[in-house]
Parts: sequence; C-alpha cells; structure tokens
Amino acid sequence: MLEINNLHVAVGGKEILKGLSLSIAAGEAHAIMGPNGSGKSTLSYVLAGRDGYEITSGSIRYRGEDLAAMAPEERAAKGMFLAMQYPVEIPGVTTMNFLKTALNAQRRARGDKEIDALGVLRLVREKAKALHISEDMLKRALNVGFSGGEKKRLEILQMALFEPTLAILDETDSGLDIDALRIVADGVNALRSPERAMLVITHYQRLLNYIVPDRVHVLYAGRIIKEGGKDLAHELEAKGYAEIIREAA
Amino acid sequence: MNAPLSWLELRRAKAARTFGDIGVPHGRAEQWKYSRVHSLVEAETVKNAGLVRWRTETSGSVDCFDLSSGFGVPEWVVSHLGSQMRVDNFDTASFAFASGGPAIRVRAGEQGQAKVSFESEGQARFLIVVEEGGSLQLIETAWCESDLQNIGAEIVLMPHSRLDHVRICPKSNDAIQIGASSINIGAGATYLAHFANFGTKLSRTDLLVWLEGENAKAHLSGATLLGESRHADITTHVEHRVPDAESTQLFKIIAGGKSRGVYQGKISVAEGANGSDSRQTAKGLLLGERAEIDLKPELEILADDVKCAHGAAVGDLDPESLFYLRSRGVPEAEARALLMRAFLEDAVAEIADETVRADVWSRVEAALAEMSA
Repeated sequence: MLEINNLHVAVGGKEILKGLSLSIAAGEAHAIMGPNGSGKSTLSYVLAGRDGYEITSGSIRYRGEDLAAMAPEERAAKGMFLAMQYPVEIPGVTTMNFLKTALNAQRRARGDKEIDALGVLRLVREKAKALHISEDMLKRALNVGFSGGEKKRLEILQMALFEPTLAILDETDSGLDIDALRIVADGVNALRSPERAMLVITHYQRLLNYIVPDRVHVLYAGRIIKEGGKDLAHELEAKGYAEIIREAA
Repeated sequence: MNAPLSWLELRRAKAARTFGDIGVPHGRAEQWKYSRVHSLVEAETVKNAGLVRWRTETSGSVDCFDLSSGFGVPEWVVSHLGSQMRVDNFDTASFAFASGGPAIRVRAGEQGQAKVSFESEGQARFLIVVEEGGSLQLIETAWCESDLQNIGAEIVLMPHSRLDHVRICPKSNDAIQIGASSINIGAGATYLAHFANFGTKLSRTDLLVWLEGENAKAHLSGATLLGESRHADITTHVEHRVPDAESTQLFKIIAGGKSRGVYQGKISVAEGANGSDSRQTAKGLLLGERAEIDLKPELEILADDVKCAHGAAVGDLDPESLFYLRSRGVPEAEARALLMRAFLEDAVAEIADETVRADVWSRVEAALAEMSA
C-alpha cells in the first residue's frame, strides 16, 4: 500500500529525512518510534503533502501511484488520512459544517453521491458517541477552545467518518490521559481491517499497548536504524533511545 | 410659497454657501488620503449631479414623505431635516443641492419595516426618524452604474427607540459612491447597523454617530469584499457625548486583485462622559500582493472612567488552516472560500434578522466564489 524508498526530504534547505525506506502492506499496522528531532513529524507532513517539505531524492508510492504528484486534497480523496499532532483551530467554521464539507468533498472527488446535511448529522452523531464527543462540541468552531484531548478525539472522529485506506497517526497519544488514550485507541482499533493500513508515529511505547503494531521501526537522524516486531517497542521502553542508538551505530 | 419651504430653502442656501467655501476634499485632506476623490470629482459636478432615482417599500407602521414635494411638509420633517447640519463636504452638498429624497418615520411605540433602494447616479437627502419607543427595520441598497452618487442621511433615534439598519452597496466598477450619515441616538435607544460593501471605483461610507443620551447604544459592523480594482472606504466617528453609553464596531475587509479597502475609525469620549464603553475591531485579509488595506483607528478620550478597546490587523489567509482543510479533502479554492467566509463570520453574524442575514450571506458568498476562483 505504501512504499517509501530511500527518501530524502529537506525543510528550508536543511535535510531532515536522509534515506528513509519503509513498506506497509494492506491490513498491517506499523509504528515509527523515535526521539525528538528524529524526523517523525517531517515524515507525516511529507506524506500528507504540506508545502515546504521538499523531496530531494527517493520516492513515495501510495497504492501504486507517485504520491509527490498529488495535491493534499487528492491524497485525502484517495484514502489517506493524517491525524495531526497539533490540529488547527479555525474560528468561524463550525465543526459540523467542516465535517460535512470535508466528507462530501472527498465523496465528490471519488465520484460518490454527496450526503445531505441530515444524513451527515446522523453519521457523525453515531461515530461521535463512541468517542464521547458531545453535541455541543460539534456546534462549536473547529477546535476552538477544545482541550488537547478533545482535539485528538476529533481527529479520530474524522478518521472514523472518512474511513481512510491509510491512516497516519502523528503523536496522537501526546497530551492524553489514560482514559482518553483508551477511547482514542478503541476508535483506531475499530477501523483495523484487512483492507486498511495504519502508521502510528509516537515517541512513547504507551499507545502501542493499545494499538498493537505488526512492525516497529526506530527512526533516528532521518533514517530507520532498527526494525522489529511489537516487542521492539518494549525493548525501547526498557533500554531508552540512547542505548538502541548506540547499538545501531 | 408656504412657510416650511422657505424654512427649508434658508437651510439649503446656508449649506450651499458652506459647500462653496469647502468644495470637494482637496488632495491634502487627511481624512481623504486613502480615497483620493479630488482627482475624480469637481465641485461643479457635485452641484449639478441631479436627483437620484429611488424606491421605497414599507410595511407596518411607517410614514413616508417625498422630500422633493414642496407642499404639505409634515411637522416631523420640518423639525428634523437639517436640524443638526455638520460641516462635511459631501453631506453638506447633498443637503444643499439634492432637490429631494425619501423621508420615513415610525411613530412613538410603533413598529415598521422599510426597504429603500437608491438606483441611479445623482444626489439625495434621506431622513429617518424613529420616535420614542418605536422600532424600524431598514434595508437600504445603494448602487449606480457610473458617475456620482451622493446620499446624505440623517438618522434620528429618539429615546428608547431602535433601528436595525443594513446598508448594501453592490459592486460597480465605474461609480463614485458617497454615503454620509449622521446618526443621533437618544437615551436608551439602539442603533444596530451593518454595512455590506462590494466596492466601486471610489466608495466612501461616512458614519458620524452621536451617542446623545445615557445608555444609548451603537453597534456597527461591516463586511467589505473587493476584487479587481475596486475601492471601498468606511470612515466612522463615534462620539460619546454623555455618560454610560456603549458602542461597538466590528469591520472586516477582504481585498484581492488590485483593490483597496479602507477603514478609519475615530472614537471620541467627551469630558464627563464617564462610564463610556467603546470597542472597535477592524481586520483586513489581503489576497494578493497588489491589493491594499489601510486601517486607521483613532482614540480621543477626555473622560476618566471609560472602557475603550481597539484592535486592527491585516493578514493573509493562514497557510496552516488552508493545509488542514486540504489534508481533509477540501479542494484549495473551496478551502480558501471557506476560510474567507469564516473570516467574515462574526461581522455578518451581527445582523439580527435571520432573513436579512441570509440575504447578505448569499451576496457575500457570490462575491467570495468570484474571488477564490
């Protein structure tokens, strides 16, 4: 589903990813773990197509197509979803209106029929309930005045609504208490299926107790320096990044 | 010739003499530095501008009078028209040279609705009187295709009355459009006004607001949307003349193409006007490098115990917000339009009536669609 090959990415002329390779097949959940500054967020942004992240060499293929040639909205329409570490606050746009606009934009791009306001409302309510998202939150301006946990839950609500083929979760656990973490993880696990793939980007092993990955990759200084099964996350937690980095050197 | 007419002619003659002295604003006039009208209009053009064509539709308890007719001038017109002349180039001119215009009144304790549209070049005087405890909903549209349109409005709100006023100026590439209003707000009265402006070759909306009685309230808001090389200038002067009055202003300007948007807002708090509460916000959104927005807030406070807050800022569309929306599948043009609409949201939300608000939104959205295409 996702093939990243010897990827080099520069931000503002500075190289952040320095030859990253990664392959994720449908049905799999992968985790990328790494210390601060290793390039985790750069990877998530380059996958989502943010401006200013320049691919200097290497390639990313998503469902067989060159990802770099696609606009961010095209990636979304083709089933890619990034749950952001810092969801943006947009005053003047209600959460509900945003969800309806985004869902129908994706459907339109895929040639599916748009869903009317009532239909979207019904759909959103059903998904929101499981994530403990109140009606009031949906009426408020997008992410404005939401707590850290509320913002993360809203990201997962979007994921549940858009039903992406590839979901990327960037530090979704940061700022969450244990109850919120469980709600979010349940939301993610509910979407796991043989047709979908997940990429969980995290600093800590904690989230991986709830979203159990098939593969774990350790990112350091823009490269994958170690790979393994789900036990690698526990090993990292026990030894710390410093030792793993030393061993890999 | 009957008495009221000679009375009116006296006032007009005086205004004509004043205009003869001041003429159109010259090139160095500070208040007109963002709206260089002197190079577009001459004093003779103003004098000979003729009468604007207008239409009035009313419902509820509204009295109308056509100021063009010299006979049977009602007492409420005599007592208010030109009673508080200010010295302002175009306002003075419309009083002196416009041979007519609509006058509307709501009697004490009554309610009414009025739609007034000014539909051609020329000048008009526009009188609005809401008597004690009365309320009026007024929707005003002002447009002309080319040349000069100059409307001078006098709005008198007697104690505990209320006026909900929406003024819509659709776009026009070749017109010079001036709308100068003096608004006199009595004790406990409320003026709630919204100005939706889509720009002309040169458009100036001049609002002089006098808070004349305690607990008088003025809530002004506006959405200006400019494309191509259109221009729109909203200049306000809110005077707190007595204690315990309240004013708020919320103006938003979006400028694309080679357009120019202007907001100048002056707040004066007179000596002894303690307990005044005045807030003013102006924000601009620039859509291109050739567009320009000028915001000029000004405070003049002579009282001690007052609350005054003002803020002004010009920016671009936030790239983070744009990326967020696009990453959720919203195409770029649609995302831009959504963010522009969001930028205007709180200003348009100030319109109290749902139907009128929806009408303004539909005009705004049509302009946004054009600008984000």
